[in-house]
Amino acid sequence: MKENKVKKTLALVLEPIALGLLALLFIIPAITVVNLQPITKKLKDLDVLGVTNSSGLKVNIIGGSHLIFLNERIDSNEDIYTYKTKLVKREADSYSKPIIEIVNNKEESVNLEIYGGTSIRTNSDIGIIIGEQRYRLQESNGNPLTQKITLAPKETYVIYLYIESFSDVRFEEDFELNIKEIQ
Amino acid sequence: MSKLLKRALKNSLFPAILMIAGKVLGIFLTSAIYGLTIEVGNELNGIFSTQIYFEDKAITLFVNSFSDLSMFLFLAIPTAYFIFKTAIFQSTVGNPKTIVKVTKFNILQWITKDDTTFLKIFIWCAFLWVASSIVVINVLQDSTYTWVGILAGSFAFLCGVGAVKTFEIESNNVYPDNKRYY
Repeated sequence: MKENKVKKTLALVLEPIALGLLALLFIIPAITVVNLQPITKKLKDLDVLGVTNSSGLKVNIIGGSHLIFLNERIDSNEDIYTYKTKLVKREADSYSKPIIEIVNNKEESVNLEIYGGTSIRTNSDIGIIIGEQRYRLQESNGNPLTQKITLAPKETYVIYLYIESFSDVRFEEDFELNIKEIQ
Repeated sequence: MSKLLKRALKNSLFPAILMIAGKVLGIFLTSAIYGLTIEVGNELNGIFSTQIYFEDKAITLFVNSFSDLSMFLFLAIPTAYFIFKTAIFQSTVGNPKTIVKVTKFNILQWITKDDTTFLKIFIWCAFLWVASSIVVINVLQDSTYTWVGILAGSFAFLCGVGAVKTFEIESNNVYPDNKRYY
């Protein structure tokens, strides 16, 4: 008899709690989904080497989105800056994208050695464009080339990466570009 | 606690988890497939403190649209399956032709056990309506592609009609139609 009474009281207490729980099961996912909605915001420049190094050279990644150049990032190791990207499969054509910005904060000219390419031969011409000038970094037969450029003092240069293929490329490849300051 | 409430709680748990999982997976899979840069922040400016950031407005729209679509599909496919299964089950009771068709399509197991109750369909449909409302609101706020909103809204409406039809047939079993049974 007493047990029955306890059960009845318990059921009476539990019923509204269960109803509340049921309502929460609808409300919580809805609020979570609304909160998970992506927001547009200038991302923290995690990959940007924004701090001026001892030589007064600053290398910034430009970023943005592109159909062919994906997963861009830049690393620095002592005096060498390494820009990396993934080149996705593509049709025979010419593609280009601004990739990095180099700022020479020094009062004198800076000489840079720029080299890089893909690890596998892709029958593509790869190079960089600075202003109107093109500098080839890898020939279509896979031959790597090293380029030397001079940056004027207190000047900013935007470097474009270009890639030209005369036949369709059906696989992805990793591209690496190294920038080294020389005397 | 009533049995109905217990069953309602039990049946609500899975779609609630699927709804969140659909959205989260949609965001991260779309970002991974298209190689998009994603940043997860934890600034305190909402009920929850986690925010997902993208740099470009077009990318945000693209990812949000596909994550909304993924969330919606995670709920829409099981709901449609439950309604379709119940419709076939109910049809086989009065129509032997359906049994032949069901055997032909090798989906006989669908009609051997009626484990899909109206309550289950109602709960899944309610979650589908909540999800489609969120998608439609996103479309109105220009944060999701219009076609995703149209698809979600139309499908949720059709599922609602399906659920009502199922309810009508089930209630006919309890309170039979005079013309049919007397």
